[in-house]
Amino acid sequence: MNAQRTGGDTAMLFRCLTLFAVIVAGAGIAAAQEPPPEAPPPADQPGLPHDLPIATVTGRIIDAAGKPVAGATVGIEDATETVKTDRNGKFQISVPMGSTLVVEKPGFDPALANVSATKLDDVVMLAAGTNTETIEISGEAPAASPGAAVLDRTELQRIPGTGNDVVRALTAMPGVVNLQIPLGYSGVVIRGSSPQDSKVLVDDFEVPVLFHNIGFRALLPAEAVQSLDYIPGGFDVQYGRASSGIVALETRPGADQRTTQGEISLIDGGVLGQGTLGERTKYMIGFRRSTIDLVLPSLIPASADLSLTTVPSYYDGQLRIDHELSAKWRLYLSSLGTNDVFELYATKDEDAKTKRFYNNTRFIRLTLGAQYHEGPWSAKLAVSGLAQQFVFEAGTLQRVDVRLSTMTPRAEITRTAERWAGLSNVVWRIGAEASIGRSTVDIALPLEKREGEPMKAFDPKDTSTRFHGSFWVPDFAGWTALTANLDPQIRATVGLRSDVFARIGEVALEPRGELQIKLPAALTARLSAGAYRRPPEFQSENLTTNAGSEHSAQVIAGLQYEPREGMRVQTSAYATDRSHLLTHNLDGSLNNNGHGTTTGAELLATYRGGPWFTWLSYSYSHSTRVDAPGAERRLFDFDQPHSLNAAVSWKHGRWQLGGRFQLYSGLPITPPVGAVFDSDRNLYLPLYGKVNSERAPMHNQLDIRIDYSWKWGPTEMTVFADVQNVYMNESVVTYFYSYDYTQRQAFKSLPIIPSLGLRGVL
Amino acid sequence: MAIAAVAAATSLPACIGDLDPAWQLDHDRIIAVRATPPGIVAGDRSTIDALLGAKGGKTSVAVPELAQVVSPASLSDTLSFDSGAWVVTAPSEDRLAAARAELKLAADAPVPLQVGVAYANQTLVATKTIALGVAEANPPLVNVMLDGKPAGASELVVGKLVNVPLSIDADDALYDVAWLTSCGTMHDFDLPTAHITVEADDPDAGELAVVLRDARAGVAWHVWPIHAE
Repeated sequence: MNAQRTGGDTAMLFRCLTLFAVIVAGAGIAAAQEPPPEAPPPADQPGLPHDLPIATVTGRIIDAAGKPVAGATVGIEDATETVKTDRNGKFQISVPMGSTLVVEKPGFDPALANVSATKLDDVVMLAAGTNTETIEISGEAPAASPGAAVLDRTELQRIPGTGNDVVRALTAMPGVVNLQIPLGYSGVVIRGSSPQDSKVLVDDFEVPVLFHNIGFRALLPAEAVQSLDYIPGGFDVQYGRASSGIVALETRPGADQRTTQGEISLIDGGVLGQGTLGERTKYMIGFRRSTIDLVLPSLIPASADLSLTTVPSYYDGQLRIDHELSAKWRLYLSSLGTNDVFELYATKDEDAKTKRFYNNTRFIRLTLGAQYHEGPWSAKLAVSGLAQQFVFEAGTLQRVDVRLSTMTPRAEITRTAERWAGLSNVVWRIGAEASIGRSTVDIALPLEKREGEPMKAFDPKDTSTRFHGSFWVPDFAGWTALTANLDPQIRATVGLRSDVFARIGEVALEPRGELQIKLPAALTARLSAGAYRRPPEFQSENLTTNAGSEHSAQVIAGLQYEPREGMRVQTSAYATDRSHLLTHNLDGSLNNNGHGTTTGAELLATYRGGPWFTWLSYSYSHSTRVDAPGAERRLFDFDQPHSLNAAVSWKHGRWQLGGRFQLYSGLPITPPVGAVFDSDRNLYLPLYGKVNSERAPMHNQLDIRIDYSWKWGPTEMTVFADVQNVYMNESVVTYFYSYDYTQRQAFKSLPIIPSLGLRGVL
Repeated sequence: MAIAAVAAATSLPACIGDLDPAWQLDHDRIIAVRATPPGIVAGDRSTIDALLGAKGGKTSVAVPELAQVVSPASLSDTLSFDSGAWVVTAPSEDRLAAARAELKLAADAPVPLQVGVAYANQTLVATKTIALGVAEANPPLVNVMLDGKPAGASELVVGKLVNVPLSIDADDALYDVAWLTSCGTMHDFDLPTAHITVEADDPDAGELAVVLRDARAGVAWHVWPIHAE
């Protein structure tokens, strides 16, 4: 078997397949858009004191932790009519100016708010047993950290150019490295580090991949997502095992009314149902299957030396059941699973096993949780199991088969108090988590490529990394945090997390804290700092017990400005010091000798009001590292200095129109400067110049989106056109090289990607 | 959707279409370096040459302009330029034993002598291994079939736009096969059974070559003229 051809063309082949899949994904992403929730209608007004002027006022109810309280009852004293808060905790009610609103919900003490303006400050409900208090916090609840942002499902679906997909929506976030085509990566890259440095959580528990192998599609549809928390740094002590950022997805609880919806496109099709089972149980169940496998074979040119024996395909499924056991207890069951598979021969001869490539990635996560709330106490208890398998086979010699089963019990208890030790509005949390994993690994592969190492020549006979065996990966964590107002304008959080990575015998202490200072003129300043660890678990890192965790220390300063309801401008500047970075020794073993820094600044301005949804984000980042003592400082592989996203969406009647402009830097490239021909292996061994000394050019594009909704009998129909890169700007993503590295060819972004979708909700 | 489908259909060949493929003989390159024989015992000699490709020209077999022992350095004196050829002379058993100790090899293991060679004013460089302490021979080209007929030395004449089968008797799990051409488009060039098609825009004449490598650094090749009509 010829190594040059197999390596060069196979690498190209996978890239092309990815490119191809992105095109097709763009071609047929079905609309999964639900009309944004309307604000609760104004209540009728019997019993209102008629001597006061009536006004329609809006506001929001949040809990002590700043999270929206949905389903709370809002009314004026002595009135019979009330309204309920929506899932964002928001309400709208017509009441006399000067009256007092009473807010009630089981598990909370009633809260009071004086109606002194048409837009009320957020009303904070404290857990039952503590005194009612109205806290002056203007505008929306604070984000999880300086620079963090939250998107709910309807917002995810309003950003043009994202095709309703969670992964693509993430690229609009400041600090997320925008990869036009994610060649070989399955995670999100935040603030210029590496994909493995950030974690993706679904319902509080980690999932191994964020998107499917083909199509750059998230592993769960936006319709199954309730909200997306994006925390690029400075995250809370409840999160661990990451040295950069967190993306936390919450699955969608079922709706009060039974609905069924279906969607079909060129990339996939699915159904999602939700509703109630009795008075106390809600459910959501979804299933999706790729349709790309039906389309792909017909699009491969007959002249291509390629045989897709198992066309790239995937399945994913989502389930969530919420049950109100009592006024104090709520139970939930959440499950998520996915299965991706493909098999191809880089020839039309399917007997040529040396040219076979096979991949199967699958996992299922099942979480059973309980939430308790009584008086000042609340608790979240959950146990989650994960079973995952990754199989890759290349030719007859190279393979990897990793099976991992993990059981993770987790508990967090919260105690609130109005006052304690001279502090006010006190929230104390304590939690623990144990992750007990069992890995079975069978590997025969070349030495893996690590961050900064240029692509090696692909030798299908190279199996220099070999491992066959099973081992336990027990990790434990405990954390506690105290949040309180030092005075009415200053709120502080101090916390400590401890991780025990038992396989490598490492105990980590990670102090974290944050300070929020309310300034005049609707400004809030925030300062966050903390220590973070990422255990060695990426690629083959956990095949050895000699590798330690990677460390980071983050400092973030932010300023938040909320001049009016729905408008928020937040800026942040950050510095991250990274140490103990894992790098290769000359013999291929791992050490923790690397260190690096990332500095940057971000801006996010959003406005949600009336028919408008606007989004402006910009990030500047500079991310460098040193791989060994005395080595030259270099850029991270994902260093992206500039990234700008400007989006606007306008909804009127049945129409919704939107546009998004993107401008971002290309990624660094390590150029080959020559090659030596290994005649025995028939393989060219590249010689590279300085690591990441070139950079792909800057890319810009405009995306537009048009939605139209109508009623078709009992079915709500939506059709949309989402066109990416409308002025067809092709820019270089990276370069492909000839087998002997004497020629290179630009791999360009796609000139235009039109998408059409149709969805019906019954 | 239609636009995207067309884009998708055209993207795949576009990815791999503009770089010289590995089977292209019309390219300045070292195609294979040969040691004859590839394995020698103490006192025996092996000579080094290579099959070269040239942009716009024919292939040639040439002696390296420059050669040097890359590893192990202690055996650098085993390579010499003698009578217009680069020659490796296997050292004594004592020196081979010392080299095995240096390289941490088993007592009876062959000592791999890695030689670097250079051509075209050192713009083309390659490495080649000669096994010292064991007698090895280059593999034979067995049962080579061109267009369904046993290969001879004469020119291969093929029709345009016709799939012409090529085959050699070799197990692709044990041998590395490479079919190369400067006339036509090669398919499955790295399999024992390949085929060539001279497309409308391909040159009408050129060369066809097969190179066979075994796992013991042995190599053999043959080159035929090819003409399309």
